[in-house]
Amino acid sequence: MPRIGIFICHCGSNIAGTVDIEKSIEAARGFPGVVHVDEYRYLCSELGQDLIKKAIEEHNLDRVVVGTCSPRMHEVTFRKAVTEAGLNPYLLEVANIREHCSWVHKDIEKATPKAIALLRAAAAKAALNDPLVAPSVEVEKRALVIGGGIAGIQAALDIAEAGYIVDVVEREPSIGGRMAQLEKTFPTLDCSACILTPKMVEVAQHPNVSLLTYSEVEEVKGFVGQFDVKIKQKARYVDPVKCTGCGICYEKCPAKTPSEFEMGLAKRKAIYVPFPQAVPNIPVIDRDACLYFRKGRCQICAQECPPQAIDYEQQDQIIERRYGAIIVATGFDQMNPSHYGEYGYGQHPDILTGLEFERLFNASGPTGGKVVRLSDGKPPKKVVFIQCVGSRDKARGMNYCSKICCMYTAKQAILLKEKVPDAKSYVFYIDVRTAGKGYEEFQRRAAEEYDVAYLRGQVGKIFPESDHLMVHGVDSLSGKTIEIKADMVVLAVASVARADAPEVGRLVGINSDSYNFFNEAHPKLKPVETHTAGIFIAGACQAPKDIPETVAQASAAAVKVVGLLSKDMLQGEACTAEVNQAECSGCLYCEAVCPYSAISPVEIEERYHGGTLKRTVVEVNPTLCHGCGSCTVVCRSGTINLKGFSNEQILAEVDAICLQR
Amino acid sequence: MAERNTEQIEKIRDVVAQDLLSGRIDLLLGWEKGHYWWQSRPLFARSKKDLDKLVWDPFCAVNLSRYLPDELKIHSKVGVLVKGCDARAFNRLLQDHMVQRDRVVLYGLPCPGMLDYSRLAEEAGGNLVGLVEQNGRVILKTDSGEKEAERKDLLIEKCRDCLYPNPVVYDQMLFSPQGEKSAPERFKVVEELENLSAEERFAYWEKELSRCLRCYACRQACPYCSCRECFVEQENPRWQGRAYQTSENFMFHLVRAYHGAGRCIDCGECERACPVGIPLQELNRKLIKDINELYGDYEAGLDAELEPPLLTYRPDDPAAFSEK
Repeated sequence: MPRIGIFICHCGSNIAGTVDIEKSIEAARGFPGVVHVDEYRYLCSELGQDLIKKAIEEHNLDRVVVGTCSPRMHEVTFRKAVTEAGLNPYLLEVANIREHCSWVHKDIEKATPKAIALLRAAAAKAALNDPLVAPSVEVEKRALVIGGGIAGIQAALDIAEAGYIVDVVEREPSIGGRMAQLEKTFPTLDCSACILTPKMVEVAQHPNVSLLTYSEVEEVKGFVGQFDVKIKQKARYVDPVKCTGCGICYEKCPAKTPSEFEMGLAKRKAIYVPFPQAVPNIPVIDRDACLYFRKGRCQICAQECPPQAIDYEQQDQIIERRYGAIIVATGFDQMNPSHYGEYGYGQHPDILTGLEFERLFNASGPTGGKVVRLSDGKPPKKVVFIQCVGSRDKARGMNYCSKICCMYTAKQAILLKEKVPDAKSYVFYIDVRTAGKGYEEFQRRAAEEYDVAYLRGQVGKIFPESDHLMVHGVDSLSGKTIEIKADMVVLAVASVARADAPEVGRLVGINSDSYNFFNEAHPKLKPVETHTAGIFIAGACQAPKDIPETVAQASAAAVKVVGLLSKDMLQGEACTAEVNQAECSGCLYCEAVCPYSAISPVEIEERYHGGTLKRTVVEVNPTLCHGCGSCTVVCRSGTINLKGFSNEQILAEVDAICLQR
Repeated sequence: MAERNTEQIEKIRDVVAQDLLSGRIDLLLGWEKGHYWWQSRPLFARSKKDLDKLVWDPFCAVNLSRYLPDELKIHSKVGVLVKGCDARAFNRLLQDHMVQRDRVVLYGLPCPGMLDYSRLAEEAGGNLVGLVEQNGRVILKTDSGEKEAERKDLLIEKCRDCLYPNPVVYDQMLFSPQGEKSAPERFKVVEELENLSAEERFAYWEKELSRCLRCYACRQACPYCSCRECFVEQENPRWQGRAYQTSENFMFHLVRAYHGAGRCIDCGECERACPVGIPLQELNRKLIKDINELYGDYEAGLDAELEPPLLTYRPDDPAAFSEK
């Protein structure tokens, strides 16, 4: 018979306010196997833990049940306490009488019997608890950063500076991400490239960093400390060793296609680098645009390339590496506002999104840095900016605020005035949000010094009229309708999760919110962790954010990774699956559903009718098993069982609740 | 006596006798006559001589694939005569890794549907002593004379709504296939039950399941029941109470039905094997219908390569439960 001790925590009045502690103690004394019951105001305090430790010694307890908060909060605390008193940590059982009881009920008369039932169930399970030992897992001292934008670059640099090897996987031919597309950054008007390119070069040259550009993560297996990752390095058709980056190939290439980097406003060649400061400065051939790949003729790049670096035979490579930790920094997309029919996006060349307009300022952009109308090449004299296109819009867009639009609109209005001094900007807004250091001052400057007219209200319709865009809106402060004969309209469209974010989430095993932004483990206290140990997030793949915030989050994620990689060993999962091979029929359903590839078939021999019979059963690799329990669910005969949560234990809990009301 | 289908039996015998002699198979699973003329039971033929007992008549309902896992423990290669349902059962066992494809030779028998003795007897009125089949009609012979009836009205329950009378997997097809079939009433009873209130539905099953003897014949006949130790027999934990009461009968049949979710090939052997006539196949069909509605049409046993819906994850899998 086990010797169980039960300890009930008041949690101040958190539990004691809704659960009658005295009654609970009285009831707990009568549970089978319980030899000692006590209570304390704050069981998680030093004194509370000492109370448990002393009782284990005095009453020779071999099982401990604590009636406290959720095991998510303090299971570790109490496991440590019982270990110090000489018990195996898995002989402790937590009855969650706070989140599962006192917090969700008001009536002490009803909550008390429920608390007693939860305690009885925990005691029944504890009686069946076995001592478990968690396997140790070696930590691979190498980190993977997925995404080579400013978040990925910053995280990689911080990890590398701490002395660990880090690989950066970027799917585009160059690192740089969204920040590379920007002309200037608010609120200082730094040239974006001038502050970004030194970081791009630094990360490329860092001895601890490997850049895997034009590459995508194909598969992530394993677990914290040992993620086994397959990365597809797409064929560039250019030998990176021979290539000198002279650029003759793309100068001579006859095939043109819309440039992704220029948001489709300009063309690039079939062999290309996305932008002049690209890192690495090695072109790639876009098979879909290349004449040779499409029609089998041309090869001009190969003929013109001085070091003969063009290699049409190059194949995609699969790189398989093990990483101790992963940072996901995959960035964001712009919402396509075509479904806002009143704004006419896509129907007129002078109606642009914010990022498209941004490219007009750039010296290497589609207009060579001249801010002109794409329809007739004339500089715009009146520009209407529309805020919250798709943001803060329950009906047709996203509920959230995209956070960066107020500021970049102010920035673009200022830049416009500097490029086209006689231009006038109008900004239609719902609210102007300028929370950030120097942000409010910056926006005021736009309004006061750069003559930007801020109009609180909405635009109902934009009509092209001869060579103008007639913008019909309402000023909600005066209630008057407004008509502006604009030359250009810029839509501050919502920042949205990458279209393939759900797939990326599934690939690496992290979850997303309803907008497909990746979820942090805790909105306040674990902003860069995910629910999957060893996987961290940084940047706008978590939620819309500006550059300073992105960089701060990237550094935070890097610190988490460095902390993890600084350990030689991690403690693995003790609650793993185990198979009773004698009863296993070998249907292998468990193998099919195991997300960690921890289950594999194995042939055993057994006696059968006087002879031996070979048959297939399964075995579990306890270092790969995470104790998720999927296998136990598909096993119809219950032959596979989860240690610490066995069928017997769960049924004992159910019986304790149902049978002894 | 049922008229002997001599020509077809000779054809089967010729083919399998050769394979038994050549050592292509060590054992043939077929049918032989049982105690009564209207019963055909499994035949385990190890030699050409054993094949003298082989029959192929309208009473060969027993699903022979079910015997394969055990026979493969003793024999290295087993031949088996498969109707449509036996063949789908073979695919079920193949997916469950209970049989190995290269150790089994499947002889395909397109199936006209098997006849139900109790229906025959009822139709005949008097003491039924034999029958003759003629162009989709059956001539029933009794002590007092003959009576004719439509064949389709005399089929056993499981054959009435059979969609796949032809084997879907075989090494050798012995006869030309049966025509396409449809089964418009396959889910008729399930739909009727779905339209009842929860109380009425419970009352229906309480009445049906109260008759269960827990003889487990349904499980023994079932090709999806392949566990080494069934949950009902486990002592620790004891899932299944031993008491002979309706609630324990519910426990058995509902858990068994869930074990067949996405796996049941709708062969109806459970219901045919039941000595007290519980409409067990309706439990299975409810789950077949639900799976089809939730995950798209899926017919277990049709294609062993096709992953069962409950063993696969697709991002667009429905997450919601309906509380009907």
